[in-house]
Amino acid sequence: MLEIKIGNIEFCSPVIASSGTFGYGDEVKSFVDIGKLGGIVTKSITSEPRLGNLNPRILESESGMLNAIGLANIGVNEFCDKKIPLINTLNTSIIVSVAGSTIEDYVNVVKKIENTNGNHIGYEINISCPNTRKGGVEFGKDSDMTLKLTKSIRSLTNKLLIIKLSPNVTSIENIALAAEKGGADAISAINTVVGMAIDINTQKYKLSNKYGGLSGPAIRPIAIANVHKIFNVVSIPVIGIGGVRNSDDVIEFMLAGASLVQVGTMNYLNPAVGVEISADLIKHCRNKNISDISKIIGKVHNAK
Amino acid sequence: MSKWSFKYINWRLKTAYPDGWKYAIKHPVIFINDLWNYIKWCQNIENEVK
Repeated sequence: MLEIKIGNIEFCSPVIASSGTFGYGDEVKSFVDIGKLGGIVTKSITSEPRLGNLNPRILESESGMLNAIGLANIGVNEFCDKKIPLINTLNTSIIVSVAGSTIEDYVNVVKKIENTNGNHIGYEINISCPNTRKGGVEFGKDSDMTLKLTKSIRSLTNKLLIIKLSPNVTSIENIALAAEKGGADAISAINTVVGMAIDINTQKYKLSNKYGGLSGPAIRPIAIANVHKIFNVVSIPVIGIGGVRNSDDVIEFMLAGASLVQVGTMNYLNPAVGVEISADLIKHCRNKNISDISKIIGKVHNAK
Repeated sequence: MSKWSFKYINWRLKTAYPDGWKYAIKHPVIFINDLWNYIKWCQNIENEVK
């Protein structure tokens, strides 16, 4: 009922935990039944370990969260040595998120991971993080760079290749088309929306990085619109991300054109939210006599 | 929040700061302030979802 196929990969549910909210996947298995999730996207892995930005780097905001973590991660070498063996024991689909500052960075990370015996099903290429000064966001704003980067990574792997796009661009459609042309299997959208908070008493920035990425329910309408726009122009699947709280939000994303939907910020409130949403989706399908949830993907595009 | 297990709280605290628990111990006022804001935020979002 909830099965979704992308390429030759079948997901048991359209609900996936998004990058940066579920660690590397292995940490959460003791308190979440991850087998009931469609999958987990790991923290973004870079070629060198990163401590991330200084504190303060997370701020709560109305209906959302402003973060400037700065891609804190253990680096690809430690990831391959210590995390891949643990990931191989997990009973859910693992997608490895990859970030970098140059094409060589991304290539280096994917090459090293490809040389392991990892059971991960694919890669989500983060070309859209707003929190690193030399970060991948430059790739995410330039369709030529996106094409070049996607082609470079495509040549290294036959695994699922997902390109994660930024909403902080003039035309997300052009970037999505470049990723498709470069050989991506799917597009995920959206990453966080650039935001800022200022302390009116000290008259200083609230985040050490000045700017952060806004996530959570506040950005959901932006994400829905972007998924809708991308679905209109590409023929590969779209993965919706942005402010998902419950099964109604997942349905909304799927109607707009998402084949899979990632849950992010709400994991901070309830780490089992993805599992609960999957269970609610089954109830929704039964109530609406939907035998195959994939039938609703992009259905709103037929509406007048 | 009622569903948070100790393992979950421990993991979140370890990953909240660049140097994990050490930061919380060295900066108790900031830590308590952050914790208070986090719990308040969780309550607000939970109420919105309901």
